Amino acid sequence: MSYITPVSKRKGLQLFGSPNELFLIAAIVVLSLVIGLNNSVFFSIATPFDLLRSSLIEILFALGLLIVLVSGGIDISFPIVGIFAGYTTVVIMLRFELDTYSLIIPLVLAAIVGAILGSVNALLIAGFGLPTLIATLGTAGMFRGFLLSYVGSVYIANIPLGLDQFSTADLLSVETSAGTLARLHVLVIPILILAIALAWMMRRTMFGRTIFAIGGSEESARRMGMNVRWTKARIYILVGALSGVAGILYISLQRKADPYDLAGTELEIIAAVVLGGASIMGGYGTVTGTILGVLLINLIKDNLILLGVPGSWQRAAVGLMLLIGVIAQAVADKRRLKQSVTVAKEDSE
Amino acid sequence: MKDITQNMVKSLLSDRKLTQLVIVAVIVFAAFSILVPELFLTSRNFVSMAFQIPEIALLALGVMLAMLTAGIDLSVVSMSNLAALSTAYLLVTQVTEGDGNVYVWIVITLLIGIFVGLVAGLANGLIIAGIGVTPILATLATLTLYNGIAVGVRNGQSIIGLPEEFVAIGNSSLWGIPMPMVILLVAGVGVAIFINKTGLGMQSILVGANQDAARYSGISVKKVLIMTYTLSGGLSALAGLIIASRSASANPDYGSSYVLLAIVIVVLGGVNPYGGFGTVTGVILATGVLQMVASGFNALRFSQFFYQLAQGFVLVAVMVLNVYVDKRRMAAKTKKAPKES
Repeated sequence: MSYITPVSKRKGLQLFGSPNELFLIAAIVVLSLVIGLNNSVFFSIATPFDLLRSSLIEILFALGLLIVLVSGGIDISFPIVGIFAGYTTVVIMLRFELDTYSLIIPLVLAAIVGAILGSVNALLIAGFGLPTLIATLGTAGMFRGFLLSYVGSVYIANIPLGLDQFSTADLLSVETSAGTLARLHVLVIPILILAIALAWMMRRTMFGRTIFAIGGSEESARRMGMNVRWTKARIYILVGALSGVAGILYISLQRKADPYDLAGTELEIIAAVVLGGASIMGGYGTVTGTILGVLLINLIKDNLILLGVPGSWQRAAVGLMLLIGVIAQAVADKRRLKQSVTVAKEDSE
Repeated sequence: MKDITQNMVKSLLSDRKLTQLVIVAVIVFAAFSILVPELFLTSRNFVSMAFQIPEIALLALGVMLAMLTAGIDLSVVSMSNLAALSTAYLLVTQVTEGDGNVYVWIVITLLIGIFVGLVAGLANGLIIAGIGVTPILATLATLTLYNGIAVGVRNGQSIIGLPEEFVAIGNSSLWGIPMPMVILLVAGVGVAIFINKTGLGMQSILVGANQDAARYSGISVKKVLIMTYTLSGGLSALAGLIIASRSASANPDYGSSYVLLAIVIVVLGGVNPYGGFGTVTGVILATGVLQMVASGFNALRFSQFFYQLAQGFVLVAVMVLNVYVDKRRMAAKTKKAPKES
């Protein structure tokens, strides 16, 4: 009997493979119909544009988290890493009077700061072998404490020009029937490219395959001669850099740098990635699923009121969705385990 | 009396991790006593610490129970707030000024608060043991859900103006000991008895040490896990009720930084995050150490964010230190072995 992981069953960059992704798409479609039939305001080009805008940053964070989850770990420090890197970048640029129109400088700076913070996680997790939840819980506290004690605790409204301008860089703007402008942010394209690149990295590169292998079974990966520690270290540094970029883009879209922001959003993003089908036990997860998960959560969050649910129930809705996601996953895992046991039995008979 | 203190000293020294913790406590105490004696070394400071320790220690005990079984409970703070809100809501709506039955209502609402915590904990247990969701994810989900319910029901607002008689409980003292401390000591003894003397408690440690082995030796892992998380919910509710009584209010978002703090305490208290080992004394002692650090920092005028930085650092440092100590002990063992043979 050969063990086939669900991922390798699929060919190349096939888009809508797993039943989970089909389910997510169905959920998004059905929900959109329900919301739209209740309130025709929903059926406007502005709705998908707004949904994308509110999802863009979360997609970046979610893709980073996806890599961690696939490797069998969890990270709850990434929003703090993001705001730390973004805020610090703004502070550095203002200090050195780098008030330029450049976007490259802040992006590179934020990625570097993020990677440095990520390497702290890498040192603790890959170097010392600490459990990922406890390590990142500790570093989240450290980073946030350091940011607010030493880097700054005040809100910065005049962010560098390039970042400020970028917040209104629209790819498309369409006038809606209501007379307002529906705008699609240009960030959609780089994020789409990044998502495809990440999907390719996870599927086609040695690094990506090693991440899946570690998530599937760390001991097996080690015995196959893979460098588990170095791969893990690279994962957390990469995720740090990615979170840094997400953090500075968040600041750009918000047009302000508030060091208190983003803390606490980890739960929502974990919910999105888990709903997207990534297994916290490691070894499974897709980029498409993750993006769909983020879109679904934001669709629900943004339109709860149109569904007749008061806005104060938003958090409960996220919690309920996370719960549904983890339960569905656990049930599916159990069934898969049972199937493989029965297959193994038949094989031996 | 001398015998008792000798016994206590002996038992504290008998456990390596507890000994270390006592040394840490003494160092922290000495450091702040020298740095800020005029603010730290006052009876007022110690009384206020004695009032603050219990709520955090109870939450940490809840986390400890989950960690003993090699799990974790991230939802303790949400459960405590949910319980506090339920009790506060009932008190505010049911008790009218000058009602003769105030104490009856207080008892009833307290019981309901505890019940809410137990039910929330039971739900955790059922999701983890019944459905088979990993404890991290299950309690992360219920953390969000319970917090969301607390926010949703009251529209995010806190409940204030609890009856005086209820507020008096958390702010009173019994024979000079703050009431919350008395509750903590009773609950602590209860948890210690549960772990060390009851079948279910001892089974929970076996489950934490090796779940498969526990299952093969006939232990009902499901029952043990459900019981553990239910108890954790009960302890959290107790913490929430103390908080409500002390602050005369209930807030759905109270103590969001307590999750980190509770885990720092549990790890510092010598509980093995991989399950199978932990002591109530260690956890309560560790709470004391962290509370001394908090009030010392306060006296030094460090911000709460610096305290958060310190918490994260302590958590990471203790974990790294444990890795080193374990490695050295393993190395020492393997060195010894060939000689003996």
